[in-house]
Amino acid sequence: MRAVFCCVAGLIALSAGGCGRERAASAPSMAPVVLVDDQSDTVRLTRPATRVISLIPSANETLIALGAANRIVGRTRYDVDTAIIGKPLIGSGLAPNLETILSLRPDLVIVWASDKRRDVQAQLIRAGVATLALTLQDTTDAYRALTLLGDAVGERGRATMLTDSIRRTLTATRASIAGAKAPRVFYVVFNDPPMTTGPNTFIAQILAVAGGDNVFADAVTNWPTIPMEELVRRDPDVIVLPVGEMPDSAVTRLHVLPGWRDLRAVREGRIVRIDANLSSRPGPNMGRAAVTLRDLLHPAQAAK
Amino acid sequence: MTGAGRLVLLLALLAVAVLTGIRVGAVGLTVADILGAFTGTADRATQSIVLGLRTPRVVLAALCGAALALSGGTCQALLRNPLADPYILGISSGAAVGAVGAVMLGVDDGPTWLLPAAAFAGSLLALMLVLRIATITGEALDSRILILAGVVVAAFGNAIVLLFLTFADVESFRTAMFWMMGSLSGATWTRTATLGVPLAIAGVLLFGYARSLDALAIGDTTAAALGVSVENTKRACFVLASLLAAVSVSVSGVVGFVGLITPHAIRLVWGSDHRFLLPASALLGASFLVFADLGARSIVPSTELPLGVVTALVGVPFFVLLLRRRDG
Repeated sequence: MRAVFCCVAGLIALSAGGCGRERAASAPSMAPVVLVDDQSDTVRLTRPATRVISLIPSANETLIALGAANRIVGRTRYDVDTAIIGKPLIGSGLAPNLETILSLRPDLVIVWASDKRRDVQAQLIRAGVATLALTLQDTTDAYRALTLLGDAVGERGRATMLTDSIRRTLTATRASIAGAKAPRVFYVVFNDPPMTTGPNTFIAQILAVAGGDNVFADAVTNWPTIPMEELVRRDPDVIVLPVGEMPDSAVTRLHVLPGWRDLRAVREGRIVRIDANLSSRPGPNMGRAAVTLRDLLHPAQAAK
Repeated sequence: MTGAGRLVLLLALLAVAVLTGIRVGAVGLTVADILGAFTGTADRATQSIVLGLRTPRVVLAALCGAALALSGGTCQALLRNPLADPYILGISSGAAVGAVGAVMLGVDDGPTWLLPAAAFAGSLLALMLVLRIATITGEALDSRILILAGVVVAAFGNAIVLLFLTFADVESFRTAMFWMMGSLSGATWTRTATLGVPLAIAGVLLFGYARSLDALAIGDTTAAALGVSVENTKRACFVLASLLAAVSVSVSGVVGFVGLITPHAIRLVWGSDHRFLLPASALLGASFLVFADLGARSIVPSTELPLGVVTALVGVPFFVLLLRRRDG
């Protein structure tokens, strides 16, 4: 649920960006597809999926980046990419409308492996629709999802290119701030009660690549709730605030909430804002998220 | 022990609770650190923790506990029903409708007092609705009708909350759920004063009705025979008790159990003279909630438990023990 929250937070439109839009080396494959998804279920398709619905926004971003936007036949409320904004709405990713999904005659539906309520998936399977369950906790998951999605739509070549491109961007970003002092960062997943990222999520990993030192890197869970007192004690240098529709009010709020308003970073105005849709989706834009964060945390290096 | 002696004892317990509450927290601080914060010699982070977070929170916990216990004790006397609690007249579900509705409309982007204000407005609306329904059936406030009206208004409110949540996005859903679980983490001196002033006024007024409550707890007819102006007293006490519950819900969310159990505990151990019961319940409720909140923020390292979870988990076994003691 927390991961779900994290990945769908915010509603601002963002184009899928440039990466992965290169021309594929070859035309999409037409061969039958056999995949093992993140629930260890075997998914068999007689040919690559041509009518896909994803309940996971980052998977839609990946499909668009793979040049498969024309294969997406429906979207959730959180999918606002111009390439698919005109597709029929199937509800929110968490509570989709099953009848609408079936009426769109999908041959593959991408679902959350972490979803505790498996009824949606079970009903799709009963209706004869193939499902692909994905876990998207860290960057390794994101890369694996990218490969699985690439295979599912017969675009393995593009998927490999996209993966390589993300890896190269991350490596270059990490190298660009080598030797620079990493600011101690608090990444805001939620403000009241404070919630942040543990060390093993894609957000924490991208934050590290961007040269940020997570003040709660010692947390044992992925999305820990933090006692305000502990946050005040650790007093981070910088607060990274993912923002959705109303960036200004999110900042203003931190200036009045008890505890938050006492933080050095808040008093001295070191709150950096990043588009929530960019920072909280483990998809094709992870490289761009790392670069954006690097520029925010290391303005001197960014200028070089 | 005389009544006054017992009250001094309870006051001492409250003092211990408050001092422990300020002493213990998520961040380990020495006594010297804490004294330093109060005298202004500690470092800035320590000052923020002690004066900005912990102390207002402990004081707010004490006030909430007192308000709920006082309110619960009054409701139990008026309704002559052991299951009566401060929320019985629909207060909590009304507050939830207000708060969740406000979250849905995006008050997160407005000033911080908007959410408490919306919760308070919702609880007032529910209270008025309950009193209106109760008087439709006749002029007199009948306890059974009141309880039923409270139940149906609460059910209606819950339905509206669920309806809201059906359309909530994930972030609003989370905010709403945290609010409904009850928490004192938003404590500020402003909120403390917001609850403290009405608590002081309502406390004095209710204490003035203590004799009448003794009579009403036996029965309306008895009370009337003893010269109590039954209707006016009931109406005034219901409104005062419910307002207390409404203000406390609006600053802390729904915190169950304190208002139900505290007056019973006092009654079981020391009897039910309301001139003693009301102040004693308030003091015990204050101590109880300070300790419960202390548990909520320190039992599990780096996670805050919902306050209502702690009040029930700690309170129920303790109360069962009290019941056994009386029977044995």
